[in-house]
Amino acid sequence: MSLMKKKPPSSTSKSSHQDDSVLENQALSKLNTGQYKEAIDLYKSLLKRANNADWRRALAHCYLQRALAFASKGMVKEALVLWENYARNAEPPHQALDQYISWLLQTNDMAKIKTYLGQLTTKQLDELYPDLAGLLGLLIITGKINCLDVLPRDSVFIMHLDLVQEALSAYQNNKLEDIERALKMLPFRSAFRDFRTVMKAALMIPESVEQAQTLLAKIPHHSPYQQMGALLLAISHDGAALVNDLLQLTPPQIKIIEETKNLNKKQIELLGVLTKQKDRLTDKVKFNLAIQYQTLFDADLAKHYCLAALSTYPAGQRDFIRHFGALNDFEAWRLKALKCERDGDFYGAEYYWKQGIAVLNTQGAEGAFKAALILRHIAAHQESPEEAISWLIDSLSADPDDRETYIKILQYHERQELEADTYKEWLDNSIMKFPNDVELLGLAIKASTRNKAFKKATQYAQALLKIDPVNTFAKQVLFTSHLAHARKLIKSKKFHLVEKEIQQAEKITIGKRYQTQAKLMRGFFVFVGEDKKRGEQLIIEAMQKNNEGVFNTHFYIMMEALLLNLPIAPLLKLLPPLANDYLLSQQEIVQLTQQIQQYADDDSSNQTHLHKALEKVKAIIKQSLKQTASEDTLLTLCQCLDRINHFELLRACVKIALPQWDKPIWMFYRVYSEANGDPTKCSDINSFRLQESLKIAQEQKDQRATALIGKFLEQYYKSRKSSVFNIFDSLFGGNNDDYDPIDELFGHLPDDLFDQLERKTIEITKKNTPERMLKILAANYLSNNVNKMFDLLNDDPEALFAFLMLKAADDLDIDIGVTAEKIVECFNSQKVTSKPKPFPFF
Amino acid sequence: MKTPYEILEVGEQATDSEIKQAYLQKVKLNPPDRDHEKFQEIHSAYETIKNETCRQKNALFNYPEADFDALLDRAFTSDQPVLMSAEHFEKLLRASIEDKALLNIHPRKTTA
Repeated sequence: MSLMKKKPPSSTSKSSHQDDSVLENQALSKLNTGQYKEAIDLYKSLLKRANNADWRRALAHCYLQRALAFASKGMVKEALVLWENYARNAEPPHQALDQYISWLLQTNDMAKIKTYLGQLTTKQLDELYPDLAGLLGLLIITGKINCLDVLPRDSVFIMHLDLVQEALSAYQNNKLEDIERALKMLPFRSAFRDFRTVMKAALMIPESVEQAQTLLAKIPHHSPYQQMGALLLAISHDGAALVNDLLQLTPPQIKIIEETKNLNKKQIELLGVLTKQKDRLTDKVKFNLAIQYQTLFDADLAKHYCLAALSTYPAGQRDFIRHFGALNDFEAWRLKALKCERDGDFYGAEYYWKQGIAVLNTQGAEGAFKAALILRHIAAHQESPEEAISWLIDSLSADPDDRETYIKILQYHERQELEADTYKEWLDNSIMKFPNDVELLGLAIKASTRNKAFKKATQYAQALLKIDPVNTFAKQVLFTSHLAHARKLIKSKKFHLVEKEIQQAEKITIGKRYQTQAKLMRGFFVFVGEDKKRGEQLIIEAMQKNNEGVFNTHFYIMMEALLLNLPIAPLLKLLPPLANDYLLSQQEIVQLTQQIQQYADDDSSNQTHLHKALEKVKAIIKQSLKQTASEDTLLTLCQCLDRINHFELLRACVKIALPQWDKPIWMFYRVYSEANGDPTKCSDINSFRLQESLKIAQEQKDQRATALIGKFLEQYYKSRKSSVFNIFDSLFGGNNDDYDPIDELFGHLPDDLFDQLERKTIEITKKNTPERMLKILAANYLSNNVNKMFDLLNDDPEALFAFLMLKAADDLDIDIGVTAEKIVECFNSQKVTSKPKPFPFF
Repeated sequence: MKTPYEILEVGEQATDSEIKQAYLQKVKLNPPDRDHEKFQEIHSAYETIKNETCRQKNALFNYPEADFDALLDRAFTSDQPVLMSAEHFEKLLRASIEDKALLNIHPRKTTA
């Protein structure tokens, strides 16, 4: 109803008019603001003064709104009274009659229900009140009410009801075709539309649960058949889904579903328990149910469940052992270790894994393999790479054939630049173990090249090409090896062997660029060893085929001349001149980077020659970088310059990059090049800059920058730390105050075990007087030598705690790997190391 | 949560080749461009149990999960289809209106 407007009063005295007007305004205001209760009182007062039709309409409106509000709160009785008040004050036809009847249906007042149902017209039942019709239909077919005699006989509703009764009767007689026919005749707009859906779904369940569920999903949320849909859905479910559905239903509904699904006695019993405990299904209840109904759950599954549940319900340990037997030793340690890991206590986990490994060591090959897996698992959780590698190496003694472990160990030693021998040793072992492994052969080639063992590198490359004939890396190595050898032969004037090397290089199909290099080498060979003129001609021809631009050709000739100890100038005269203001294109910069990279890869001694050659062209490079370089090109060049330690050009790159791009790697290259690659020369302010960049790199998941900055900072901190320590050492001569025998003896124990033992020590001390306790400890651990015990306690009273911990462990039958001898040794060594030292200033 | 064996629908004693076959079959039915999440689940299950080492690792380093639903699934699963009689259907229909709230409907349309 739209907001009402005031109408002018009709007659009576002036003051009375004024009073009415005030009252009416108030009533109207209350009505318009939804304060219907107050509005009703005011309109009732007004109507006592005069029978005004507008006021009565307004009063009726207020009653109706109040009725609907109460009904929406489930207060049906109040809604009924209010609607009846509305009906008394409003002219027919009355609004919300369908709702009124639906409220009446809840009162069991059949006389009244029938009266109002009797007032329904065919149009109302068939068209205007579809929801009421739907509800009435369900109540009639379930026998909840009997009102057929009062409903309009000529209504479609009655016709459809007959069809429904026909379908139900056919269902009872198991005549599926008749059901189908009757249901088909119910149209979409029928009051029994959802009945048709539930019946179809019920018939569908044995054939296709999924299709039945799809049908049930079509029942609208407000439909009176919604609950029937939920019951059928429960029937269509199995397992946990069924149980969860049943827990939402009433006991009679559950009972029918139990019958329908033909559940057995034990299942019904379990369901009963679950229904009763549904809000109190604690870990303990579930654990006990798993044990109690293990025949229903399958004994193995129940055991598996209880085992897992022990982590949240440790009190179930005893029951577990009683019903399923004790866990085998390894399994017990494994679960403890995994629990520690789950709680983030990797230190504790390590302890329990070690205990588990001790058990596995007695179980032959299968145990050894598991032990190796555990050792590798522990390695993966180590913070320091050194520790991790140590665990990995240990794992190889249990399982010596794990290729991945060899690779990890090699990768670690490769990063440790100072451990070349160890790396070589591991590499030799790995190649021996896996002679046909492509990755390992690749690593062997790199290592041999790095160590200038070209012959060995060639052998590995040949071996690799036998396995993988298209391996570009091996081809490159082989090619460069032949050229390097040819160079060596030219330099040592063994000219008769040079041609063979060049021919072998030419046989390797690896690309035009390499063919040009071979031709050029032949040119140099002829130039030096046979005929200078013809050599020059061959060099010119080879260089004409080189498509890398004038600059790169000059650079190439310079490098080759330097490597062959030839004068540069005459050779450069053979080429088109290189102008001082020459600018390299983006592509030429990329090609230059590749050239530098190739020479650096070939031989680390090439670095000096590279520096010499770059010295001659650095001005052109710097100028060109300013004009053309993209971030990616510049970054690749920087990596290459870093490789050959050319900090001057590196600084030039950074100068161009930093104002343009803000990746953390640029800050690294700035600091790195300013310190000439030496972390000890890094300033404090630069170290702070790097710390910031490290954070950003980690946030951006830039692993390369993170690794480079992290390593540089680590070396920087190391250098700072050692210098600080040196100062203090020289002042105080060092000391051993940090030594804690308790930590030394019991530091390896996981926190929970340490706490458990500590609690036991308190128990022991409470049970015995101090004198008796000391006697017991001396008897148990020091061959009854009480004096020795007193000596130890005089030196350090903590020794008592150590012995008590040992006693606690023995009482609890836990092997903690500590003996009385170890305790004595620990406290004695502390006595030796903590002797007072003379003050160094005197 | 399903185990990798359940995802690939293979027994815990299945061989490498049986597991691979099951994986390829599953991937065929669930290619990555159709349901990427499902594909990831299948792929990850395969990676977890594809060979003896992986299976051993899975068995060693996974904390057993206390899945009560798995117990209920076992206890209340039947191979027999549910055949609903007319009697049960009618009983259910009557039981469905037990709840008084059912009658507390609020018709969508209120007409004079």
